[in-house]
Amino acid sequence: MDIFDLRWDIVWNYRDMFIRGIGVTLILTLSGYFGGILLGLFLGLGKLSTRKWIYWPCKLYVDLFRGTPMLVQILLIHLALIPTIFGHSLGYMVSGITALILNCAAYNAEIFRAGIQSIAKGQMEAARSLGLTHNQAMRKVILPQAFRRMIPPLGNEFIALLKDSSLVTVIAAPDILYASKIVAGASYRFWEPYIVAALLYLILTYGVTKIVAYIEKRLSNSYVPRKAEGREAR
Amino acid sequence: MIKIENLHKYFGQLEVLKGIDYEIQEKQVVCVIGPSGSGKSTFLRCINMLEEVTDGAIYIKNVKINEPKTNINAIRAEVGMVFQQFNLFPHMTVIDNVTMAPMQIRKMNRTEAEALGHELLKKVGLDSKAYNYPEQLSGGQQQRVAIARALAMKPKAILFDEPTSALDPEMVKEVLDVMKNLAAEGMTMIVVTHEMGFAREVGDRVVFMDGGYIVEEGTPEEIFGNPQNERTKAFLGKVL
Repeated sequence: MDIFDLRWDIVWNYRDMFIRGIGVTLILTLSGYFGGILLGLFLGLGKLSTRKWIYWPCKLYVDLFRGTPMLVQILLIHLALIPTIFGHSLGYMVSGITALILNCAAYNAEIFRAGIQSIAKGQMEAARSLGLTHNQAMRKVILPQAFRRMIPPLGNEFIALLKDSSLVTVIAAPDILYASKIVAGASYRFWEPYIVAALLYLILTYGVTKIVAYIEKRLSNSYVPRKAEGREAR
Repeated sequence: MIKIENLHKYFGQLEVLKGIDYEIQEKQVVCVIGPSGSGKSTFLRCINMLEEVTDGAIYIKNVKINEPKTNINAIRAEVGMVFQQFNLFPHMTVIDNVTMAPMQIRKMNRTEAEALGHELLKKVGLDSKAYNYPEQLSGGQQQRVAIARALAMKPKAILFDEPTSALDPEMVKEVLDVMKNLAAEGMTMIVVTHEMGFAREVGDRVVFMDGGYIVEEGTPEEIFGNPQNERTKAFLGKVL
């Protein structure tokens, strides 16, 4: 049993587990990410608020979730928080998605805050000087510009979350890594199942990288190309 | 039309405006001149509440604007502003820059707004650039679009905050020409400027500010031809 005598057929026999693992990993990551974007947007806007009773809770939240390990958060949510609220566990999926949303939101909040703050002050002033309300100015002028700048860090966050989702194996969620652990435990072979896990994560993150690069290229920093053409016809 | 009473403005401990009293009549062009740091821009920015007023009162058409119950957005829609750095919206085409506010605030439909937009762009000589993006335009062109954008709200007055200071010298004239035409049409304008030629030629009144005060005020002939205050004389001696 060593690296020169790999037995891929063992992994192949467990292929259904790995396929299910990919599904679980993707569901966890996608739910956590898009939930985290929504919650993160509110937290990010909250951190930009001049009202202290809005700012401080948002800041506290972000500091708390960025400053503690996600592994600890998952265990606390699964073993303590949810059973305390509901009287019993709601399963690894609910706990896993909750933990990923809450954690991802904290990081996304900082991305949103930084993106909005990076837009020159003159843009808000120009919009307000025309008579737009703060909300109208945000919607029509600030956010459309800020979102473009947020795409690269939001892409990074997705990749980070995809990898961090493997931490849910600790509450027995049957994701990619969990499948590898089962195979390793049953066969006492370690190279093959963990190499497969690594490869599967690599393929997924590489795919995401490509998608982000494509979006970035389409919404490149210059506002001029493509969009300007064909506009007259409207 | 615009009346300012005992206006004070602090930035933290620093007093930038130390009691300004002034009144601007309808259709007047008032040019504000003075050294850097004299409070000219702050004075201008207080008039549409881009800066919060510390003390004093500002009335626009007899409505006190620095009061919590005044709808500041409605006031701003009536008082246009043109910035030193243009501040066009880079993610919108030129025509969208002009039509966005009337559509959002005046609830104009797109057809009406675009008709108005093209009319205003023609006025500033840039209708051919309507479907370009701001970054494809020169500085002078961008500033002319910014003027069209301000005009689209059909304001009662326009505030100009050093509109030509960020421009290359050869582009200053095209912007000043647009402003001259506006003045000739009877637009009420307050212009913070370093263009003494413009102040002399187009201004109805010239205000000299220094150290947070209005030091001297009068017709261009009085200020440029026969300044009374020593500080005015010293400043003009340096810039003319």
